[in-house]
Amino acid sequence: MSSKIKLSKEANQKADEIIAFHGYSSLEELVEDLINKEYEKIKSGDNKEELANKLSGLGYIS
Amino acid sequence: MKRRDFITSTAAALVASPLMNFAKDKPLAKKMLVLGFDGMDPGIVNRLMGQGQLPNMQRLGEQGVFTMMRSTCPPQSPVAWGSFISGADPGVFGIFDFLHRDPETYIPLFSQSETLPSGMLVNLGHYRIPLKPGKVVLKREGRAFWDYMQDRDIEATIFKVPTNYPPSESSQRTLAGMGTPDIQGTYGIYSLYTSDENESQQDISAANIYYAYIDENNVMEGQIEGPKNNLVKDGEAIIVPFKVYVDNLHKTTRIDIQGKEILIAEKEYSDWVELEFSLISHLANISGMVKFYLMEMGERFRLYISPIHLNPRNPAVPISTPVSYSKELANKTGLFHTIGLPADTKALSNGTFSMENFITQSLSVFQESCRLFDYELQHFSSRQQGLLFFYFSSLDQGQHMFWALNDKEHPYYHAEESRKFGYIIDEMYRKFDRVLGKALKSIDPGIPVLVMSDHGFGPFRRSVNVNTWLVKEGYLKLSTNEINEEVSILEYADWPASKAYALGLNGLYLNLKGREKEGRVSTVERRKLLEEIKGKLETLSDPKNGQKVISCAYISEDNFSKNFLQRAPDIILGFDRGYRISDESALGSLSKEIVSDNLNWWSGDHCVDPKKVPASFIANFKIQKPVPDMQDVAPTILKYFGIATPAQMTGKTLI
Repeated sequence: MSSKIKLSKEANQKADEIIAFHGYSSLEELVEDLINKEYEKIKSGDNKEELANKLSGLGYIS
Repeated sequence: MKRRDFITSTAAALVASPLMNFAKDKPLAKKMLVLGFDGMDPGIVNRLMGQGQLPNMQRLGEQGVFTMMRSTCPPQSPVAWGSFISGADPGVFGIFDFLHRDPETYIPLFSQSETLPSGMLVNLGHYRIPLKPGKVVLKREGRAFWDYMQDRDIEATIFKVPTNYPPSESSQRTLAGMGTPDIQGTYGIYSLYTSDENESQQDISAANIYYAYIDENNVMEGQIEGPKNNLVKDGEAIIVPFKVYVDNLHKTTRIDIQGKEILIAEKEYSDWVELEFSLISHLANISGMVKFYLMEMGERFRLYISPIHLNPRNPAVPISTPVSYSKELANKTGLFHTIGLPADTKALSNGTFSMENFITQSLSVFQESCRLFDYELQHFSSRQQGLLFFYFSSLDQGQHMFWALNDKEHPYYHAEESRKFGYIIDEMYRKFDRVLGKALKSIDPGIPVLVMSDHGFGPFRRSVNVNTWLVKEGYLKLSTNEINEEVSILEYADWPASKAYALGLNGLYLNLKGREKEGRVSTVERRKLLEEIKGKLETLSDPKNGQKVISCAYISEDNFSKNFLQRAPDIILGFDRGYRISDESALGSLSKEIVSDNLNWWSGDHCVDPKKVPASFIANFKIQKPVPDMQDVAPTILKYFGIATPAQMTGKTLI
């Protein structure tokens, strides 16, 4: 399944620069990579909070 | 062994003469009693014995042996008790820290158990029904020593040993201990209703703090937040409302909850209150229980509600084998705490409890444990053969919180609190001596008795952020120039440029190619790098006083069996006396300073170099080794019952 998104001219220019700088093969690859990174960030944040709560319950982390 | 013969250093002990060998080919005993006093420190025992304050432990030791025992590396309870259970080093049973990590994501994982999600969910109106239920899996590998007893039809009761949640499959009577969560899947989230507005606005971890609004009729309405209901689409927490009728004149309250009326006076605890959390109305409930503690009335109203424990009469997840065992205990002795570590240390750390409040709760937990012990002792006395292992958590939790009361060098030493409560650690040891005395009176004098701990104790004065040290030494690279508590390696590490990172209470990992997702260190450079980091860590000194921070950095591959070595940190950090990993570093965050003062009542600890915190071993039988190892206990128990040391075990029998 594919979905279309519309970017402003400015965002498009920035995307082109990022693609050139990091060597992405396409805008799709850049977007997919950014989504994955953001997703991992959210997941790791959730996990960290959950772990902090768990260890806090044990007492080792205040 | 006489107290004066107590060996005060491991080095001296290693050259001491072997004691008498009692080993025979057939069973040496039909019954055995093992008491696990978590955190019992041999140095404190030795001092109190010298003052004649532990007569029962002294008598036991004089009949056989009182010595220090080598704890595991690291000397953390899940690791040390795992070694007791498996009769082996951590490489065999695969637990090396409270926290492990997933090398694919670098995300820390709880080491003792893993929750597997439920299968596909189907929508049914408001509900989402799983086609296959989720489950919790014990991550401890290999067989427990009581399994080998089961093979020979020898009964064992294993009461609350840590690192056995969920309890491994067995027909023995076992009750899960440390690692058992509350009903929300955490290790204890308490609630506080307070009329103090400032206090109600605190944002603190592992607690729900609410403002207590008491209306003109002296009624307060509140709620207990239960587990999230994963069967409904929004997944919101299940709420149990309650009302509190406040009688300031008589300093009492009545709490109405789920058709029950509970009367409690100021400074009193309620009994356990059983609660039902409804998943699907009239069809599916989760059973929990709480205690209310009316801390203050009058000028300030403060009502503490304990974390929601699993109800042993009807636990939502199995906490015992057979499943009916927890119900049997509750029916015979009354309801009891089921969370692995029941004293609410964080309520004291957070400032919700005063020291007096915490001591009150600790004594209540201890008394409940004694009640359960009496029941198990009766059961043990009624049997012709078998083993009773009974675990107490109070000494460990107490020493964590009370250490600074007797430590003038501790940055959190309070002279006034010390004057009032400085007696408490010694008093706890005396209480445990009386527990032993009672047990010795009620059993046949010929029965082998062992009193043991998993580690000793020491001060936790200064916190060490090993991740900050790694950044400053250039082993860990960040995508930001900031170095503070807000910066986590999970978000800001530049992994392709990083060589090492720290996670957990004693763990340091290399960022290894082929193992970590974005590994940097090649197999060729691995060993050299390990030795380089070890060398630097062992010369790290505290800028405040020049003291050594890490007495030994243990390279895991030189210290553990290979079976589950892939889960282990590459280096186990052996902190010197007075030092421990910082809270931030344990979860992968940084701090401005590498070493800073520990300003918390959590002031004693044992997550250090194992040589600094040996465990205690007191028995009415003699042993062959002057300094036994934690992993030697299981082969010794099996030997008493005529069972040869299984191939899995790396420990050796002591008799």
